[in-house]
Amino acid sequence: MNDIFQCGDSAALVAYLYDECAPGEQALIATHLKRCATCATEIDALNATRRTLAAWTPPELALGFRITRDDELRPAKVLEPTIAWWRAPLPAWAQAAAALVIFGVGLSVGSARHSVTEPVAAPQTVAATVPANRQPVAASASPDDLAQLEKRLRAELTQLRSSTTAATPAAVRGSDDALLAQVKTLIEQSEENQRRDFTVRMVDLAGNIETQRRVDLASVRQQMGLQQGAIGTELRQQREVLGRLVSERTR
Amino acid sequence: MTRTDEELVARAQGGDIESFNQLIVRWERPIYALAYRVIGKEEDARDVCQDAFLRAYRALPGFKGQAKFSSWLYRIALNLCRDWIRRQRRAPVSQLPEDMDAIELASETGPAESIEDLVARRELTAIVEEAMSELSEEQRTAIILKEYHGMTFQEIADMQGCPLSTVKTRLYQGLSLLRRRLEQQGQMMPELVKRV
Repeated sequence: MNDIFQCGDSAALVAYLYDECAPGEQALIATHLKRCATCATEIDALNATRRTLAAWTPPELALGFRITRDDELRPAKVLEPTIAWWRAPLPAWAQAAAALVIFGVGLSVGSARHSVTEPVAAPQTVAATVPANRQPVAASASPDDLAQLEKRLRAELTQLRSSTTAATPAAVRGSDDALLAQVKTLIEQSEENQRRDFTVRMVDLAGNIETQRRVDLASVRQQMGLQQGAIGTELRQQREVLGRLVSERTR
Repeated sequence: MTRTDEELVARAQGGDIESFNQLIVRWERPIYALAYRVIGKEEDARDVCQDAFLRAYRALPGFKGQAKFSSWLYRIALNLCRDWIRRQRRAPVSQLPEDMDAIELASETGPAESIEDLVARRELTAIVEEAMSELSEEQRTAIILKEYHGMTFQEIADMQGCPLSTVKTRLYQGLSLLRRRLEQQGQMMPELVKRV
């Protein structure tokens, strides 16, 4: 017997413990254990350890993995809403700058209208030499253009006042009224353009804000999911601590 | 009709994804349990488990059937667990701050007297987990493969790439350490310790 198994041979004891002894060895070790208290106690203790280990079960977790298609083998990215580049949300500073620009344009239009209507009533004579080719500017007249036009008209008026005293009043008045009407039309068209531009920008801005809101919401939901996971883990740990305390107290 | 692993592998190699999904259903629990016991974290174990199946699926054309499919899968999972452990060794482990009062912490969770049995089981689980974490990776893996996955010494030796005698030594030393640790914690079932 001692040729095969020696008392305290841990490898043989482990083999016996797991029932993986070499042929014939099992019976020899069993016989030895009946006579050797040390080895018997060792085997009993190891068995008890194994029984305690059996209580260790992994937590239940929903798995349900599936392979669906070849191209889904790669880990899925976090889904994000796809936004066209022209609808992509502007950064906050750009939105603020756009709002300032719109406000400034509105302000200048308002002040231009105010400064144009007042002095136009005064002139008695307006040069008939105002270039006819100034008219097409109206379609895209900006406040700066209007201001320049006003300045030019004033200069010409001043010049005319000083140089001509014998102009035909009716003809001059006629051309004056036409010019005034033309200026008013320019201003109205400019205002209309500004209003349209402003509306388009506001619609864009509202769209951007909505898109940004959705992106933020998606991000918040994702963060909340992560937080909930972390809180769940923390709760479990806390319950385990509590469990220990409870059993210590009951003990 | 239940197909064998080998049949399902052959069909999956022929492009039948559903056959591979059947293999997943068959093996996901054991692989998850293995990963969980080796690395000790639910979510990470799930990730490792998922990754193991993905890798197995990608490597399936190269699987020639020299070993059992399950052994091959276990080996992939164990390699991933080993990678995970290496990464964790490099990263700092977050622990409960020392100044945090455990009683205060527990009082926030509300009364739990009604779940004493559950608590006792969890306590035992926690102690076993803690004791297992004190073993070397090789000892722990050998015990897990033997105790929870019923592998033979030879299979464990193949899996760990070591001689059969080393497996026995790892098992004996690991169990002895666990025994001492559990006895210190008063968790060894006393009626089982004494034979007579």
